[in-house]
Amino acid sequence: MPPSTEQSRPAGTAVNGTAVPSVELSHITKRFGSVLACDDVCLSVNPGEIHGLLGQNGAGKSTLMKILTGLVTPDHGEIHMAGSRVSVNDPLAAAGLGIAMVHQHFSLVGRMKVWENVTLGERGRVDRDQARRLVKEVGERYGLVVDPDAHVENLSTGERQRVELIKCLRRDPGLLILDEPTSVLTLAESRELFSVLRRATTDEHKTVILISHKLDEILHATDRVTIMRGGAVVARRDTAGTDVRELAREMVGRELSKWTAASAVGAMDALIVGEQTAAEGEVLLRLTDVHATARDGRPLLRGLSLQVRAGEILGIAGVEGNGQAALGDLLSSLLDVDSGTVEVCGSAVNAGKPGAMHRAGVGVVPEDRHGSGCVLDMSVAENLVLADLGEVASGMFVSPRKLRERAARLIDEFDISVPSPDTPMRLLSGGNQQKVVLARELAARPKVLVVAQPTRGLDVGAIEYMTERIYRAAQDGIAVLLISTELEEILTLAHRVAVIHRGAVVGEMKRADVDLERLGMMMGGQIA
Amino acid sequence: MDSIELILASAVRLAIPLAFAALGEWIAERAGTLNISLEGMMLGGAFTAVAGAHMTGSPSAGLAFGVAAGLLVAVVHATFSHRLSVNTYVVGLTLNVLVLGLTSFLIMRTESRQVDKLTIPLLSDIPVVGPALFDQRWPAYLLIGLVPAAFWLVHRSRWGLEARAAGENPGSADVSGIDVNKRRRQALMICGVLAGFGGAYLAVAEVGTFNQNMTAGRGYMVIAAVIFGGWLLRGTLAGVLVFGAADAMRLALPALGYELNPQFLIASPYLLALIAMTFFAKSHRGPAALGQPFVRGIT
Repeated sequence: MPPSTEQSRPAGTAVNGTAVPSVELSHITKRFGSVLACDDVCLSVNPGEIHGLLGQNGAGKSTLMKILTGLVTPDHGEIHMAGSRVSVNDPLAAAGLGIAMVHQHFSLVGRMKVWENVTLGERGRVDRDQARRLVKEVGERYGLVVDPDAHVENLSTGERQRVELIKCLRRDPGLLILDEPTSVLTLAESRELFSVLRRATTDEHKTVILISHKLDEILHATDRVTIMRGGAVVARRDTAGTDVRELAREMVGRELSKWTAASAVGAMDALIVGEQTAAEGEVLLRLTDVHATARDGRPLLRGLSLQVRAGEILGIAGVEGNGQAALGDLLSSLLDVDSGTVEVCGSAVNAGKPGAMHRAGVGVVPEDRHGSGCVLDMSVAENLVLADLGEVASGMFVSPRKLRERAARLIDEFDISVPSPDTPMRLLSGGNQQKVVLARELAARPKVLVVAQPTRGLDVGAIEYMTERIYRAAQDGIAVLLISTELEEILTLAHRVAVIHRGAVVGEMKRADVDLERLGMMMGGQIA
Repeated sequence: MDSIELILASAVRLAIPLAFAALGEWIAERAGTLNISLEGMMLGGAFTAVAGAHMTGSPSAGLAFGVAAGLLVAVVHATFSHRLSVNTYVVGLTLNVLVLGLTSFLIMRTESRQVDKLTIPLLSDIPVVGPALFDQRWPAYLLIGLVPAAFWLVHRSRWGLEARAAGENPGSADVSGIDVNKRRRQALMICGVLAGFGGAYLAVAEVGTFNQNMTAGRGYMVIAAVIFGGWLLRGTLAGVLVFGAADAMRLALPALGYELNPQFLIASPYLLALIAMTFFAKSHRGPAALGQPFVRGIT
């Protein structure tokens, strides 16, 4: 991270507690059904500071901020701004109070132009020229260059975030909230973002709340940090007086193992010891110059080539939306190739034929757990055999006894916590659902295992489990393809890292040779 | 020459009621509702217009009755699908069946005068295109104002910007402070008014009476026209003209002495719609959230 942001921090403003807080949330409680999302949460943010809100997935950070922006109504609690009580009932009220939020999944409409998006949510006549001018003006003030007439769907994720920031900043908010802003950005883009935020606090005296589960980013970009766990605030720190280990401990509630450190908390340098050595098995999965297009004619893969050896984990790093989903679909037989070949264990596979990949020995833990990973309304036992009915069926008939026996065996083996094999999938936690998917795929004894975003949205315990299981699968001689946008996850597990950009692998390196600088530039498409 | 003139004039004449409905359907779809109940709106409009014209003795008043019927169907549809989040296709199909049943049941032997014909002297004497363009009933000329107005509403106004956002990405629209379901309800009501008018025009201005199921799937043809036109206004209108022309051929060919299987002729506009959809629908992308209900909540 750039040292300049450290130096430009306004001395005193952040740390002294005497000023009236720019925003203060007191005793906020919110319950969704049986889940207590926010439990008596108090948060106070000073004017002109960048305040970090740190916590794992599901710690209540996002809910808290949705309360502050009027998207969720709290059950109890008060919000004060600059000393006076306010009520935020809907997003318009929040905008009126000068609160603006950059959402994790952008609030942009892809098929509209930049200026149209920026003016969305305002009132009065649509003035195209004025909107264009404002995009330029706000862009120049904060160093966010973007073409007002471009269609948002044609922009890179970094550019989209600029549009999102312009959309927020043009209303000149006093408080800017960013929800996991770097999850879709390259390293360079993240740095650029943090310098824009620093400019907003020092030059424009705005207040910023930065939500994150990545320690690196909290340490580099914030003045103070509030840490949440299980819906409650567990610690408050001045960023200058803390370190990675302390933050990690507070966030997770215990010391971290090797497996969690990187994936769960996003601290690469401090905690990871690179010990992976490449295995020299035979090539089990080989993709050669694969081209594929979406149904509406958009190119998805443009000449992608890669190979994975037995016992090896190949990590596919890249910014989201560069063909990872298409690669996952291809290896699940959901997508056909236009040209190029897919070979499993040395023989070519007709990728587009339903079930072909599975029969060839490819197991897939898909990115979209709910959409294509499992059937939520079927039982755990049924989900466990979906890929492999032959083992529990004779002819046309499925044997319920065999089905349950097999389920019980897998539940035991994979440590899935579930009341009974007949429990519907829907009632399981995300971590246990993911275990079911993994158990099913591994039980089919695959030669190649594809895991896409295996730990997205899981808690630390489940992340730890998944990471270890994937590692063990490779140890057992399976060729593992790990597709992830979390660089930390890839660096923890992979023996080799391949960078995907615009539907092709643009570079490859051994784990030991990884240079973050270079990797970041590859992911951004600057060097091949 | 005569036959081309005849077919062209009849094509435009048959396309006009479709064009009114198509404007409405286009707006509704851009806001994210694939409005199946268009058929019901048109049929209801046709029936009520004839009944209204009979009661008041004025065909023009009948048009107003037709608009009211279309709006009523729209309000019911909007309430169910964008307030109570009932599946919009189920609501639409149910409404179509309901309107068909109701109108068939209530059929009265009413006769209604045709609306006065407004012809433009000299211009209507132009060969080939003259009769097509300048020899229609007066309400048809409302289209001259309505088409640019619809374009302006969707592409230039604040309302249109928000409605398009609701159709493309309701989540983003919601986060930006737009009431997604309200915009969709409003778009549906505009559609109801226009479709009701289209149906009323068909009954009062063209045919002059109401027959059971007289729209005979024209509402579905209009939905096809919007898709055929790639959700663009000009494409939608082109689609309506193509389907109107097919309908005209069906009527004109036997009259001109060509002998064709009558069943095939009756089916031809629908076949054409099917073929057109196969070739054109793939190359365009509709509004991303078309037909998906929007429910606020945490995600």
